[in-house]
Amino acid sequence: MSNLDKYTKVFTEVFEISKEQTSNLKYQSIPTWDSIGHMGLIAGLESEFKITLEPDDIVDLSSFEKGKEILQKYKIEI
Amino acid sequence: MTIELILKNLDAIEIQKYQQNRYPCFFVDFIEEVIVGKSAKGFKNFTFNEWYFPAHFADEPNVPGFIQIETLTQVFLMTFLTFPENKGKKTGFVSVNNAKFKKKIIPGNRLDIEATLDSYNRGLAKGRVSGFLNGELACQIELIVAVPDIMTQFTPKI
Repeated sequence: MSNLDKYTKVFTEVFEISKEQTSNLKYQSIPTWDSIGHMGLIAGLESEFKITLEPDDIVDLSSFEKGKEILQKYKIEI
Repeated sequence: MTIELILKNLDAIEIQKYQQNRYPCFFVDFIEEVIVGKSAKGFKNFTFNEWYFPAHFADEPNVPGFIQIETLTQVFLMTFLTFPENKGKKTGFVSVNNAKFKKKIIPGNRLDIEATLDSYNRGLAKGRVSGFLNGELACQIELIVAVPDIMTQFTPKI
């Protein structure tokens, strides 16, 4: 499974959406990506990629695309 | 080496320094022990004077399920509101799962409660709690509780 597949899977499982819905996905653009859902997303990404995200990165991770940029800091190419 | 912080014998006045629940929605009488970040043990004595017994039910008073859940939860709160940065903060339910009610709790009963914190990260606490009557399981829940003040520090600003 590629990193993109793993990354997408975290979003689809945490937010209970389809793969197609991840494009242009932003914080609070769907009901399940609220403040609680955001904590689930962060926990999911940390678990999937075995990383610990810095607080600033957790706040900055406001969209599906932005998350890809942030994971590069942790040497994870999506 | 990890050092455990243990609190012992907190009465109702002390407990209210850690959580904001107040009469008529305060349901813990005594906390016997808190291992901060791990577990809490306490109890609630249900007397005939509880405000809900006349309504639930007049001819057969017993503790409503939602109050059992709240009672279990208020002991659980002590596992993480005893972190110095959380002391006195408000909390909110995220989920309650696998609730089981095995015994009727009636006036005169003492419910002994044991709570376990499975994880606490960025204002989100997950755990499980059981209540016992005379050593026998009476009710239990698994739950997730949020500390909104902490959690909002980690959410995107839009």
